[in-house]
Amino acid sequence: MTVADIVKRAGIARNTFYENFSSKEECFLAAQEFAMSAALERVVEAAGSFDEWPLRVRAGLGAFLGFVVEEPALARTCMVEALSAGPGAVRHYEESQQAFVSLFKLGRDVSPHGPELPATLEEALIGGVFWILYQRLTSSQLDTISELLPQLSEFALTPYLGAEGAREVAAL
Amino acid sequence: MRDSVDQSVDAPEYPPELARLPPGRHGLPREFVAHNQRERLIAGLAEAVAENGYAGTTIAHITRHAAVSRRTFYEHFSSKDECFVAAYDTVMAELSRRVGEAFDQEDEWPQAVRAGIAAMLDFLTAEPHLARLSMVEALVAGPVVVERYDSAIQNLVPYLQAGREGRSAKVLAGLSPTTEEALVGGMVSLISRRIFADRTDELEALLPDLVEFTLTPYLGSSEAAKVARQTK
Repeated sequence: MTVADIVKRAGIARNTFYENFSSKEECFLAAQEFAMSAALERVVEAAGSFDEWPLRVRAGLGAFLGFVVEEPALARTCMVEALSAGPGAVRHYEESQQAFVSLFKLGRDVSPHGPELPATLEEALIGGVFWILYQRLTSSQLDTISELLPQLSEFALTPYLGAEGAREVAAL
Repeated sequence: MRDSVDQSVDAPEYPPELARLPPGRHGLPREFVAHNQRERLIAGLAEAVAENGYAGTTIAHITRHAAVSRRTFYEHFSSKDECFVAAYDTVMAELSRRVGEAFDQEDEWPQAVRAGIAAMLDFLTAEPHLARLSMVEALVAGPVVVERYDSAIQNLVPYLQAGREGRSAKVLAGLSPTTEEALVGGMVSLISRRIFADRTDELEALLPDLVEFTLTPYLGSSEAAKVARQTK
């Protein structure tokens, strides 16, 4: 992809591009930041309408899946293109995963198993969820994403709540 | 027509098992020479990419490291991309072989999973340039490689699916069609992140967490933790 491609798609002049960005990389980073904010806003709003952590996780995951389905181009920017768009983009990608890791880590406080859980658990859970969404995004299977919410919720909540507890929340 | 082999360049990190061919007319069978040259080009690409990154690597870099001529490069590959794909496939074949062998050597599935993950981490730790090639540079080397990368990860799924065998209805009820995919994706993301950050020295330390993470859905957390803490 080149700056020429971008300005053609955007229907703006090349000058205008360079008034706003010094390079294609900078433009990408801005797009990525925009996409990440859009996703995070939805997740925080959805999670915020619940008090209990498991319900917050389910709602947050649901919002994130909704974002991927409704804004696939933005989702691709953050979750697919970011990994091949240079170190700045990769750093942003890590940061976005960190936001979810923080949300999940709160589960240790409400879990009877909290202290025994592996240190990298949240990183792995988020990595797993992202990988599944990445696969669906890159194989154009957007219509299969919403139905994943129960199983992804169960996957994410089981280490903290046990299988039954997780299933109860996932089935809500 | 004479083959012009670049004899003047020394490749200090040259893999020892790929011995230098004598230059010029050596009378060796054409297929042997061709095969050997291909291997040298692949090794040369790996070295060149380690030095310059994928984007910064040129065919001249590759041929210099491989100590073959540009003409020879084009006898084997039509582009840098194609050479990269071959290198990627070579690394992945080796990694798959080691993981498969380690897995197959164990009688019990939990230990087999542990052995497979350990073999993967061992290889990536021992070969940080190849780790970077297959997990970082691969992502910027074009759609053909990215597709192979994605397949390679998905190829790990059957190793975990084998863990469903013989489980109670209760355990099976806790698994979903995407469980193995999520486990594999999570595991690879932990590994990939450290390779991206050039922290391959942290890979071995991931073993207990990775074993516990992948085995817990099948064995429960305390049993999985036990296997995770086993020492070789």
